Amino acid sequence: MPAFKIPFNGYSVKFSPFYENRLAVATAQNFGILGNGRVHVLSLPPSPGAPIVETAAYDTSDAVYDIAWSESHDSILVAAIADGSVKVYDTNLPPASNPLRSLQEHTREVHAVDYNPSRRDSFLTASWDDSIKLWTVDRPISVRTFKEHAYCVYAAAWNPRHADVFASASGDCTVRVWDVREPGSTMIIPAHDFEVLYTDWNKYDDCILATASVDKSIRVWDIRSFRVPITVLNGHNYAIRKVKFSPHRGSLMVSCSYDMTVCLWDYMVEDALVGRYDHHTEFTVGVDMSVLVEGLLASTGWDELVYVWQHGTDPRAP
Amino acid sequence: MANPSTDTKIENPALAEPRNEGDQNATTTTPKPISSPSVFVNSEPIRPEQVENAVKFLSHPKVRGSPVMYRRSFLEKKGLTKEEIDEAFKRVPDPSPTVQGATVNQDPQPKLVANAQLQAPAQAQQTSAAPTRGVISRVISQPRFHWTHAIYAVGILAVSGAGSAVLFKNALIPRLKSWIRKIASEDENGVVRKPGSKPSATEEAAAAAKTAAEAAAQVAKASQEMMDMNIEEKRCFRNLMDMLEVQQREMREMSFTIRKLEDQTNSSSVVRTYSQDYRLSSSKQPYTNGMAEFNSLPGRSSLPPASVNSSIPPYPKSYIEEFNDLSSNAYQQHMPNSGVAPRSKPWEAGQPPNSSSTYQLQADSDLGNINGSTSRWQQKNVRIAELENEEESKVGPYYSSQAPEQTARRPWVPPQPPPVAMAEAAEAIRRPKPTVQKEQQLTSDHKLDQPLNELQSVTDISETGGAPEARPSEIVEELEGNC
Repeated sequence: MPAFKIPFNGYSVKFSPFYENRLAVATAQNFGILGNGRVHVLSLPPSPGAPIVETAAYDTSDAVYDIAWSESHDSILVAAIADGSVKVYDTNLPPASNPLRSLQEHTREVHAVDYNPSRRDSFLTASWDDSIKLWTVDRPISVRTFKEHAYCVYAAAWNPRHADVFASASGDCTVRVWDVREPGSTMIIPAHDFEVLYTDWNKYDDCILATASVDKSIRVWDIRSFRVPITVLNGHNYAIRKVKFSPHRGSLMVSCSYDMTVCLWDYMVEDALVGRYDHHTEFTVGVDMSVLVEGLLASTGWDELVYVWQHGTDPRAP
Repeated sequence: MANPSTDTKIENPALAEPRNEGDQNATTTTPKPISSPSVFVNSEPIRPEQVENAVKFLSHPKVRGSPVMYRRSFLEKKGLTKEEIDEAFKRVPDPSPTVQGATVNQDPQPKLVANAQLQAPAQAQQTSAAPTRGVISRVISQPRFHWTHAIYAVGILAVSGAGSAVLFKNALIPRLKSWIRKIASEDENGVVRKPGSKPSATEEAAAAAKTAAEAAAQVAKASQEMMDMNIEEKRCFRNLMDMLEVQQREMREMSFTIRKLEDQTNSSSVVRTYSQDYRLSSSKQPYTNGMAEFNSLPGRSSLPPASVNSSIPPYPKSYIEEFNDLSSNAYQQHMPNSGVAPRSKPWEAGQPPNSSSTYQLQADSDLGNINGSTSRWQQKNVRIAELENEEESKVGPYYSSQAPEQTARRPWVPPQPPPVAMAEAAEAIRRPKPTVQKEQQLTSDHKLDQPLNELQSVTDISETGGAPEARPSEIVEELEGNC
C-alpha cells in the first residue's frame, strides 16, 4: 500500500496489539530538536491499493519520541514526550479530552516507552535523565524509579515471558537487566564499546537479547553467558536505531538505521542478512513488526513518510 | 545480598529450566555459596583478579578525583559485576560520603583504619595533612607528596634564581667595573711606561679597546655619510617629483585647451577626447594600461584602478565573474563586497565597505597568481594615485572639484604593499608601461643637474632593457616611501 505522508519527522511506529489494521506513529517537528509533535493513529485499508487513512491525531507541545499501545485497553496509547512528560491518550474519547493524563516526573526527555505484555497494567519509560520509571495506568505517580545508568537511557524492554524482568539500553555502553522486585539491576552487560541505542528480547527464547549500537553492529546475547555475544551482526553503515525480534519466527529480527535502510536478520543462519529495504530517503528511526499479521512491517523515518508492507514485497509499490 | 530473596520469590512454574541452567552456570567456576535459580541474576562468583585490577584503578590519584558515578560506570563497562565493584570500593576507601560510612567502619584492615583517621584532614587542607604525612600509607599520600614536591621545586627555583641574581649584582658587576677602571688607569700609565716597559695583558686589552673605539668611530662616520647621501638622494628625488609635477601640469593644461577647442568645434566627440585625455594623462601612470578601457570619465585618471567600489558600473565583468565563481554566488554583479561575505563569515555581513573591500583585495591576492598580481597592481595604482592626488590638490582650482571626489571615492585605505617576491608577476602586467616611464626618466635625468649614481644606473639598466622590470617598481616604491 502507498506510503502515508506525515507533516513532521517520524520517530516511532507501533502496531496495535488488538487490531491488525491499526498503527500509531510518533512524530516530531524539526527532527525532534525543537518544536511540536504529533501522535497519529492510522488505519490500514482493507484492499492493498487503497491509501492509509488517519483516524486520529493528537498534537503535543514538544516532540514525541515514542509511542506504545496499551495491552489492556484497545484504545489507549502512551506517548513519550521530549519535555519529560508521559501522556496517555484514549482514541475513543473526543480530542478535547485528550490527553487523558500527563505524567510529569522525568527531568529530561523521555526517549522510550514500553508496555508490559504479561502484566498488562504497567509500563516503563526510559529517559535521558539516566533513569527508568515504572508506572501503572491508574496511578498518577510512578511506582518505581530505577536510577543506575551513568548516561541517557535509550530503551527499556520487558521480557516477554517474565513479567517482572526488563532490560535497558543506555548511552553508558551497558545493557542492564532488572528485576522489578529487586532494588537494583541484576545484571550488567557491557554490550558495546559505544552507546547502545536499543535492546529487545527474543520472543521465543527468554534469555536471548539483541542490542543495537552506534558501532553499526547488532549483538545477540545470551544472558546466561553474557561475557561474549552469541553473534555480532554487521551490515549497517551507520548507527542502528532500533532492533526488534519477530513475534512469529524465533531468530528473525528487523532493524532500522541511520543509513536509511531497514534490514532483516536471521542470526541462526550463516549469512544473517536476509532482507534489506532502502525505501526511505532519510534516517529511519522507527520500525515495527506486526503481531497479528505475519510478515507485516512498518517503518518511519525523518523523511516524513510511513511505510507499511509485507516482507518480501517492495515497500514503495502502490 | 538479594539472591536469597529471589530464591523464595521465584517459585513460579515454568522456571524449572532456569534452575537447571543456573546450576550449569555455577559449575563453570567454583560454585558460589549462594546459587540463584534465576537466570536473570548474575551468579558468577567474584573474580579476585578483576577486583585487584579495580582496586588499582580506584587507587590511582586521577581516578580519586573523579566522581564516583564515572568510576562505577567505567568498571561496569569493563565487565565487572556489581559484587566485584562493591568489593573493590570496599578495599579502596572513598572520601565520598556515600561509600565512607558503610565500608570504612566495617573493614578491619589496619591500613584502612589509619586511612580513615586521615580522611578528615585529607579533605581539609594540605597544611593540616603535614603532621600526618609520616603516618599516611602510600596509597593516600601520593597526591600530597606530589603537591609538596611541586612546592619545594618552585621554592628552590625561586631562591636559586634570586640568589644568582644577587650574586651577579653584588659580586660580578663590581669586578667588571674595577677591571675596566684598572684598564683605563693602566692605559694612562701605559703611555708613560711605553718606551721601556713590557706590554702587559692589560695594556694589550687597552689597545684593543682603543682600536675598537676607533672602528666604531669610523662606522659612525660612515653611517653619517650614508645619512648625508640619503638626504641628498631625497633631495634629488624630490626634484624629480617636481619635474614630474611640472610635466603633469603641462599635460593637463594641454588637455584642457584641447577640450576647450573641441567644445567649441564638435560636441559629439567629447567622449572620445575625454578618453584620449585620459590616456594622455594616464600615460604618466604606468599601470592603467589594462584598465584604461573601462573608465572613460574625465578627471578620474588616477582613480580607476582604485575603483573597487560598486559605484562605477563598467567594472570588468570577467573579474567579477571569476570572483563569483569562487564564491559561488550569482548576485554579486554590483556588490563585490557582498561577494566577500560568504567567504569570511555570514554574521559579519554588516561591516562597512572599507574593510570588506580591503578584504576583497586581500582575498584576491589569495586567489591566485593572476588575481594576486592584479590586486597588487591595484594597490600600487592606488598609492600612485594617492601621491598624485596630493600633488593635484596643491595644483590648481580646477582640480579641486576632482580631488574631493577622488578622496571621497576612496573610502578604504590600501593595504600594505606585499613583499617584493611577487613583483615579477606584477611586472608582467606593467611591462607595456616602462617604456613611457623610461622616457620620463630620461627627460628628468637630463633636467637634473646632479644625477645620482643610483638613478644613473637605473636609467642605464632601463635603457638596456635587461632587467628593467624590477627597477621601475623599486623607484616607485622609493618614491612612495621617501616622499
